[in-house]
Amino acid sequence: MSEPWEDEEEGAIKKFMFINRKAPYGTIYALESLEVVLISAAFDQDVSLVFSDDGVFQLKKDQDPESIGMKNFSRTYRALEGYDVEKLYVDKESMEERGLTEDDLLVDVEMLSKEELGNLMNEQDVVLSF
Amino acid sequence: MPIEVNGKTLETDEEGYLADLNDWEPAVAEVMAKLEDCELTDEHWEIINYLREYYEEYQIAPAVRVLTKAVGKKMGKDKGNSKYLYGLFPYGPGKQACKYAGLPKPTGCV
Amino acid sequence: MKFAVQINEGPYTHQASDSAYNFIVAALEKGHEIIRVFFYHDGVNNATRFTTPPQDDRNIVTRWSELAEKHNLDMVVCVAAAQRRGIADEGEAKRNGLDADNIAPGFRISGLGQLVEAGIQSDRVVVFGD
Repeated sequence: MSEPWEDEEEGAIKKFMFINRKAPYGTIYALESLEVVLISAAFDQDVSLVFSDDGVFQLKKDQDPESIGMKNFSRTYRALEGYDVEKLYVDKESMEERGLTEDDLLVDVEMLSKEELGNLMNEQDVVLSF
Repeated sequence: MPIEVNGKTLETDEEGYLADLNDWEPAVAEVMAKLEDCELTDEHWEIINYLREYYEEYQIAPAVRVLTKAVGKKMGKDKGNSKYLYGLFPYGPGKQACKYAGLPKPTGCV
Repeated sequence: MKFAVQINEGPYTHQASDSAYNFIVAALEKGHEIIRVFFYHDGVNNATRFTTPPQDDRNIVTRWSELAEKHNLDMVVCVAAAQRRGIADEGEAKRNGLDADNIAPGFRISGLGQLVEAGIQSDRVVVFGD
């Protein structure tokens, strides 16, 4: 279907990277970052997500934040595939520091070293950090 | 403007979305549709139910094109297009169908 | 160079807004173009005209409005973030049944797509925040 913005900037595909560095609850950054990611999917850009530092907790399985009055938006990460956002990277070191493995995460990700993440970041046109 | 559903008075906002999503029941959709001169058919319900399942699973209302793609995959190509969805929900599947389905109001965020 | 600027923190609590302001003034002086200033997260609080700081402090909101007028800046407030934090223009006030609007001159409320679009159209996106 044709959305109003789709007629503009035909063919301009840039590499967008969203870096998520904060725990899912405690501040709103993770939730509002996810909202930007979902919108960016409508622009047919080349989107990557990075989860680093406490940001790796955003992808942790079995979140149950109802008792602090929050909606469990971690399930939304599983909708990303349907939005064609499929490049999800996590920082290996951040995972290890927190005793997490890929089995603890609710979506498929690629684990990268700091150096590999740095190289990937260098390839980007737009890096937004949350 | 509050709406009357099965003898209960339910709060809605300026645009007719439920104030409390827990108030939703199928009769809510029927009442909302009637207010907009829309008769709900099985085809409408197929979409409304899918939206509710999607929201339950992912905690968001899908973008229209995500919905379109998913409907096509699940219910067949003849339904997975915007013409079909806008035919059922002329005010837009994102707004109208989500309202009937008792999903949060879209922020208008594009 | 074409810059887009994103501001993620509220005025006074955090220096992000001041730093962004100084960056923009400097960039304009050097002859660069600022294609959009996008206010996100608590950054939307930069857009309320109800701000009344003491007379011996800078008025961050007025300062933005004046800069926008002088340089014809496109200052966009994210609608979803604004709704959470009670920033409304006339249209939003009506749409959500509020008894007043509070947006300061020079700001407009729009969607997150404006941020993504700014990323596509600019040479650099500079993010101010934590």
